[in-house]
Amino acid sequence: MATPTQRSTFTQKVLGYGGLVLVLLTVLIPYGYVALTAFKPAEEIFDVRWLPKVWSLEAWRYAIEFEQFHVYIYNSFIAGVGAAVLALCVAVPGAYVFGRKQFRGKDVMFYIIVMALLFPFVLLVVPFTILWVKIGLYDTMPGLWLAYQVFIIPFAIWILRAYFAELPPFLEECAMVYGCTAFKAFWRVMLPLAKPIITSLMFLAFLVGWNDFLFSNMLTTGEGPRTASVIIYVSAVGGERVEWDVLMVMTLMAGIPPVLLYILAQGQFLKTFAVRGA
Amino acid sequence: MARQEALHPARTLDVSPDLPVAAAASRPKPAGTERWLIWLFLLPTVLFLVLLLWLPFLQGVWMSFHKWPFIGEPRWVGLQNYRDLFGATYFWTTIWVTLLYSLSTALQLALALVAALALNQSFIRLKSVWRGVMLMPYAMPPVVVGAIWMYLLDPDLGMVTHYLLHWGIISEPIYWFSDPMWAKWIIMLVSSWTFWPFMFIIILAALQAVPQSYYELAEVYGANLWHRFRVVTLPHIRGAMLAAVIIRIAWNLAKIEQPFQLTGGGPGYETSVLSILTYRFAYLSGDFGMAFTVGLLLILVTFVLIAPFLRGFQKQVKQARRP
Repeated sequence: MATPTQRSTFTQKVLGYGGLVLVLLTVLIPYGYVALTAFKPAEEIFDVRWLPKVWSLEAWRYAIEFEQFHVYIYNSFIAGVGAAVLALCVAVPGAYVFGRKQFRGKDVMFYIIVMALLFPFVLLVVPFTILWVKIGLYDTMPGLWLAYQVFIIPFAIWILRAYFAELPPFLEECAMVYGCTAFKAFWRVMLPLAKPIITSLMFLAFLVGWNDFLFSNMLTTGEGPRTASVIIYVSAVGGERVEWDVLMVMTLMAGIPPVLLYILAQGQFLKTFAVRGA
Repeated sequence: MARQEALHPARTLDVSPDLPVAAAASRPKPAGTERWLIWLFLLPTVLFLVLLLWLPFLQGVWMSFHKWPFIGEPRWVGLQNYRDLFGATYFWTTIWVTLLYSLSTALQLALALVAALALNQSFIRLKSVWRGVMLMPYAMPPVVVGAIWMYLLDPDLGMVTHYLLHWGIISEPIYWFSDPMWAKWIIMLVSSWTFWPFMFIIILAALQAVPQSYYELAEVYGANLWHRFRVVTLPHIRGAMLAAVIIRIAWNLAKIEQPFQLTGGGPGYETSVLSILTYRFAYLSGDFGMAFTVGLLLILVTFVLIAPFLRGFQKQVKQARRP
């Protein structure tokens, strides 16, 4: 990507470095301060200074031993994994058909699916709560997995369809000449080809489950499978005095795993987010 | 051609060199088993979307014509909910703060554009590190980012208040989240800070697809930095920018996490964007009919706001497809 032929002018360099530094500071100053706070002993929270006078793991011990925060982190993990697995089972076959097969009503159906991307999901909370209580999904993990799908499936089908459609034509026909059934052609030929994009969508679906607050909060109670997001919300606005050092430890524990995931898969994400046809 | 032939097995070539292609082209409808496969594969998607999205939605439209309490019998009231909403004293406050909140999209776009253009320069090293740092606010749960800003903006021990006092910009601590003037700006700023990397990824992906030779050609013709941006870069990323703006307007207006956490819609109705108002009706007043009335208004406002961008996007796609 770096091209030696293109000369970078002085202005270009000033603007480039200037923009980079500006944006990086906007992101790093708040995070830096928060990360350092997590290592301050409780009595140092009250004065604003960057480096702790005494480095302490007190807040971390409190978050885990007293608040049992690792349990909620585990819940978030399970919520994310379930969301990703369920999303794949539903979206991959659907997107494959939309990308490569012809059938009646295809365009209208696809339009209806993509429209769902723009849907204000907060509207669904009420009907979901009523329905979940009725069918026994309220306050259960599978209930959360199911609810997350309304965020994931429209997006997943939108992205996957384009990917399947751009694979070389007649691949399935060739496989079928070799004796594959239509299903085997999908399973043995198309699925392996789509592996990179499927992996990246799996990450994104996992993050929906890990990051979600709306459904995780509304569809569970204190005794049920609460995720880390919900606990952070409760600790921050629960009405009691806020233990900021402990809360900052919690934000790091819940915030760092998704960041690592993004960093690990960022090249892949970049391809996933490339808007096609534009 | 040679590559395609290599895919064909020799036995087929004996009979007819282009059999698979011809067979596919002349086949009017998918054969029996394939049609089964199509419907089987579509079934889960269709079931999900009908049962989880469109049926609850239609039920909600129906509910908006009722007085629908959490417990007890719903009662048909016709358009009464709509009349109540439009006549309420807080109605215009809500609309105004929703529009203000949607401005967050513009701020996100500005930050994303600066970051993406900077990272696309060939002279900048360690690109993937910087890219990873920039993705942080978006990767984390919005509630986590909200909690971080609640701490930083705390009037007593927050860093922001401290430095503003220290530098003499303000003379006494401001209660950012409960101050009627500041609260709406703060939720707008925090949401911008959280969600801009989404636009950044989309724009960066588009920038990397611009052929380098276009820039060289423009340079040969003597185009300066601004011209190169306008003539080469902008047309190539316009579609991606429009798509990102459309999605973000809709998502910014629908995401309730942060205003919910930071201000809860208060003080009064000062930060009750439409999505928060829906929530307040549903869970605080237990008035589901009214909650959906507000929700439908939210959909309407969302579509009014994205309509111009949607039209621009369609035009862009049409242009791109033209040979």
